[in-house]
Amino acid sequence: MPLDTSSYSLALLRLDGRRWNELRRITAQISTMPSADGSSYLEMGNTKVLCTVTGPCEGGGTRDRDRADIRVELAIAGFSGVDRKRVGRGDKRVSEMVSTIQSTFASTLFTNLYPQSTIHISLHVLSQDGSLLAALLNASTLALIDAGIPMRDYITASTAGSTSSYSSNDESADPLLDLNTSEEQELPFLTVATLGGSDQVSVLVMETRVQAGRLEGMLAVGVDGCKQVREILDDVVREHGKEVLKSGRL
Amino acid sequence: MTSLKRSLAADPYSANISSKVFVRSTKSGKVQKIVRELYLRQDIPCSSKLCTSCLETAPRDAGGNLPPFVLSATPAGTKKYRSGHYLVPDTNALLNALDLFEQASAFYDVIILQTVLEELRNRSLPLYNRLVGLTKSEDKRYYVFFNDFRLETYVVREFGETINDRNDRAVRKAVQWYGEHLSKAVGKKAAMPAVVMLSDDKDNLRKSKFDGIEAISLHDYVSGLENADQLLDMINVAKEGREVRDAKAAQNLYQEYFSVSKMMTGVKNGTLHQGKFNVSPYNYLEGSIHVPAFDKNLLILGRENINRSVQDDVVVVEVLPKDQWKEPSTKIIEEETMNKDDNADAEDGEAVVSEKERKALQETVQKVHQNSFETNPQPTAKIVGVIKRNWRQYVGHVDKSSVSQSAGRKLQTVFLIPMDKRIPKIRIRTRQASEIVGKRVLVTIDSWDRDSRYPVGHFVRSLGVLETEGAETEALLLEYDVQYRPFPKTVLDCLPKQGHNWVVPPLGDPGWKDRRDLRGLNICSIDPIGCQDIDDALHSSRLPNGNYEVGVHIADVSHFVKPNNAMDAEASMRGTSVYLVDKRIDMLPMLLGTDLCSLKPYVERYAFSAIWEITHNAEIVKAQFTKSVIKSREAFSYEAAQIRVDDTSQQDDLTNSIRDLMMLSKKLGQKRMDAGALSLSSPEVKVQMESETSDPIDVKTKVHLDTMSLVEEFMLLANTSVATKIYDAFPQNAMLRRHGAPPKTNFEELANQLKVRRGVELRTSSSRELADSLDRCVDPNEPFFNTLVRIMATRCMMSAEYFSSGTQGYPEFRHYGLASEIYTHFTSPIRRYADLVAHRQLAAAIDYEPLDPSVRSKGKLEAVCKNINMRHRNAQQAGRASIEYYVGQSLKGRIVEEEGFVMKVFSNGFVVFVPRFGIESLIRLRDLAESEPESDFDAENYILTTSGSREVKVELFQKVVVRISDIKEESTGKRKVKLELVRTGGK
Ligand SMILES: [Zn+2]
Repeated sequence: MPLDTSSYSLALLRLDGRRWNELRRITAQISTMPSADGSSYLEMGNTKVLCTVTGPCEGGGTRDRDRADIRVELAIAGFSGVDRKRVGRGDKRVSEMVSTIQSTFASTLFTNLYPQSTIHISLHVLSQDGSLLAALLNASTLALIDAGIPMRDYITASTAGSTSSYSSNDESADPLLDLNTSEEQELPFLTVATLGGSDQVSVLVMETRVQAGRLEGMLAVGVDGCKQVREILDDVVREHGKEVLKSGRL
Repeated sequence: MTSLKRSLAADPYSANISSKVFVRSTKSGKVQKIVRELYLRQDIPCSSKLCTSCLETAPRDAGGNLPPFVLSATPAGTKKYRSGHYLVPDTNALLNALDLFEQASAFYDVIILQTVLEELRNRSLPLYNRLVGLTKSEDKRYYVFFNDFRLETYVVREFGETINDRNDRAVRKAVQWYGEHLSKAVGKKAAMPAVVMLSDDKDNLRKSKFDGIEAISLHDYVSGLENADQLLDMINVAKEGREVRDAKAAQNLYQEYFSVSKMMTGVKNGTLHQGKFNVSPYNYLEGSIHVPAFDKNLLILGRENINRSVQDDVVVVEVLPKDQWKEPSTKIIEEETMNKDDNADAEDGEAVVSEKERKALQETVQKVHQNSFETNPQPTAKIVGVIKRNWRQYVGHVDKSSVSQSAGRKLQTVFLIPMDKRIPKIRIRTRQASEIVGKRVLVTIDSWDRDSRYPVGHFVRSLGVLETEGAETEALLLEYDVQYRPFPKTVLDCLPKQGHNWVVPPLGDPGWKDRRDLRGLNICSIDPIGCQDIDDALHSSRLPNGNYEVGVHIADVSHFVKPNNAMDAEASMRGTSVYLVDKRIDMLPMLLGTDLCSLKPYVERYAFSAIWEITHNAEIVKAQFTKSVIKSREAFSYEAAQIRVDDTSQQDDLTNSIRDLMMLSKKLGQKRMDAGALSLSSPEVKVQMESETSDPIDVKTKVHLDTMSLVEEFMLLANTSVATKIYDAFPQNAMLRRHGAPPKTNFEELANQLKVRRGVELRTSSSRELADSLDRCVDPNEPFFNTLVRIMATRCMMSAEYFSSGTQGYPEFRHYGLASEIYTHFTSPIRRYADLVAHRQLAAAIDYEPLDPSVRSKGKLEAVCKNINMRHRNAQQAGRASIEYYVGQSLKGRIVEEEGFVMKVFSNGFVVFVPRFGIESLIRLRDLAESEPESDFDAENYILTTSGSREVKVELFQKVVVRISDIKEESTGKRKVKLELVRTGGK
């Protein structure tokens, strides 16, 4: 067993050598699946997800006749985690993430442009190492852009945590950005997504306990992380655009 | 079509990212493969005050604070490293000699590498924790360098390389980098401190020599220090010794342990059993272990079966076939006398079981076989492996006979005899043998190999001359792991700034928020004479409706000790105050314990009050709890209060209210007894000290007064009421105390003894029945007989324990001894941490303040319970041992004849309990007469008859007269109380 999160205080370094305010390496590609309307592949550290978007296609508008429906499917591969266990569709964690993603994009996409139609977002998790919901949101943003569906701005997400657990109630705890699995298991954390790198928070999910006093710091770090993610995703999109122009595929 | 494959060269990060793959197995036995990223960086500072370049890039925390650099610019030098040096120990160096690193005389400016820290954590968690403690102490200047995260010092494990070799290479690389980095930082202008690798691994040393890295073995390094002789002893010799012995190809004395996986599978499918190893206090060759699969404890007989286990180790055993099941031995076997003449140095030709031991064991076994047809033997087992060693530091003294006087300062091997009889003697290699003879010394066990009959350890430090007060008290505290060092500054910083001048603020101050003003009540406290830490006070008054209002007021410690600050952490670690005959080791600093929290008379104090309305028949009408301010009218001693109550001419309100309390307490007590509460007994004596010289002058048995029951009764009431309240509020994590019903088998022996000797039936199916049948155990001619039986019954009981309510089902909450459904400790927060937790929970339950997360977290609470249970037990044992020691001291040079009672009969001796001094001691056959008399032991009737040189008949429960004196045993240099049988029958 390697050291645990309590070693942070020894040298202000996290379990994987990062500092408190550093993101993991994020790499992404778009148009990875030519057969889909939009697709993306995104890695945040060892968390790896694939996203494909189909649509808008006809049929739908069951909830609101003037808007497109958004359908989200999430499949977590059995080999993606440490335990190699199958995650069914009925899994509570999965359905919660699905509904978060669905409602986030319902308010960000201009769905009113496509009445009585449906936009399918299909997500595949290939590998999990923390910040899963954030990675799924980021990958969806990229795939939706690739599909050319108009949206207000990028939805970018990241996680923020705190260096000491809830019960140890340590007042000098530092906030942390972008948690990996072992940090998520030991520390309190939240997932935050903002719109277009602004301070406008569109998703905030927290399932662990933390002292209210630490929340502000965590949130600030998380929002700052979203801004950094937005820069990275924007680069990916522009880079892809240039390539498409160059190859004259348009 | 785009390929998903990433081109690595294009990624600017790729050079800095590596990954770490490791395998771990979970509790359920699954194996998991974990892949973790590593971000390599160049901004991890060297933390030397000589270096300026690291300062710019050094990491800051979220507040922008830079952790100060640790390593001194002018580190100490040695003969070899004149211009100073930084030490970089490898894992083995720390494993073998962490004691050295904790020395105040040397080992400053040490760089602990991440590689080493991780490896140490895997090898030994206690050592890891000690090391982390060292890195946090400012004066030692220990710096943890995360070499595996720094680009230049990160080392990839090569194909075919073992993990150990990889780690050693990482250590060498880090040492090399440090050297180069510092020389760059210092430049040519000044002399640079050497960066020295400390290692005991020959291969590692050789390789560093090859690479031109400064490296030295622990032994060589320490030899170059000033107080080398003292320090050298602390190096774990086990490893060195083993190498020597390997050459000799010594035969293995003990059976090899099973592999961990074999043990795990065995335990899983029920062929092996796991449990904690316990050694019989009367026979060091007999151990027992309790496993869930058997009602009765499994017996482990003889050295071979015990197979190198030491008291408290968690072991795995294999049950022996039924034909080898035995009765527990009825013979006293003491290591001291058995293997007196073993040679500490002899390594070859040593048998596991000495001829004497074999004989002693055989005799007992024969006895068993003679009567085995009608008794049911106990299952026996042998130990096949150790899951967890629970070795600690042991206090003892060096066996004088094992020391060679002529050796001088030469290294020699001596035996250490631990104070705890259940611990085997320990081989120690030392150069200071002649100096530590006759001293109390502290040692640790390092290892116990198959080819060594005894464990091997090393000398840590001397506590002082045997039998001097300082040495013996410290020995006792160390032996029971009592934290007795002065409170550190961080703790004292948590105290109120006004110090002793602190007073309850005037009415209207925020401190009064939600506090009831009870200053007008006639409150008083009743405690033992000289009590300074007054936890509790009481009052009662008559209500217009004829009922009584009774209040128990407890020191409001939780007002002063806030959760999670340094003082709370210290108190939680100490767990309880420890009371020794001549000393009190406080859980909280004096200022709080004896002043600000203490409910002293005539001054206003914050309190936490439980107030009931009680009818004349002691029915509780209602209960309420509130924080309050009180002013105690008087602090009585039990005696003074009793005199006042008994004196009918005293008719003041205060005295009358005590009389009311007395009346109510008797009714409450009766109700408890009717419900089946047990009145148990343990020998209680009090040592009277000469006030000037603090020499013990007399021993008195404690007298019981009604005022004591008065206080006890209301404390029980308060504890029970609070338990119900906090359990209602926090069903998952209330801090409670339970006392399990003892398994029936615990009483089997006592019941049989009573039946055979006195024809009394001991019924044990419920506490009520037990209480009743204990009441029937009376001997009209011998009033003490009942107490004796109660003392023996108490020893059959389980011990009460703290627990968090979420960990047990409600029926398990029951307190057997008090016959109460639910119970907690609330009334002594000054001296018990559990009470402090209960206070915090009660304060939250009445919405006085929110509950701190640490008191709500299940895991944390369980850890607290585990610790305080252990501390509580240790404190009790330390207190008892202290009394025992002082009783011995008070008898020094005196010879007294006293009455005693036979408590236990063996085939070669018996145990006598002397109520007057609360001591029990063994009288062996060979103590009866000059030449050991012949004996005949009737095990079924517990009678030992001797003939020949002395003719006596000793029966269980019999009254005897003994001569008590103290002797100093020449072989061990230890003073002990010696009992001699004068005659059987009373005075
Ligand atoms: Zn430097």
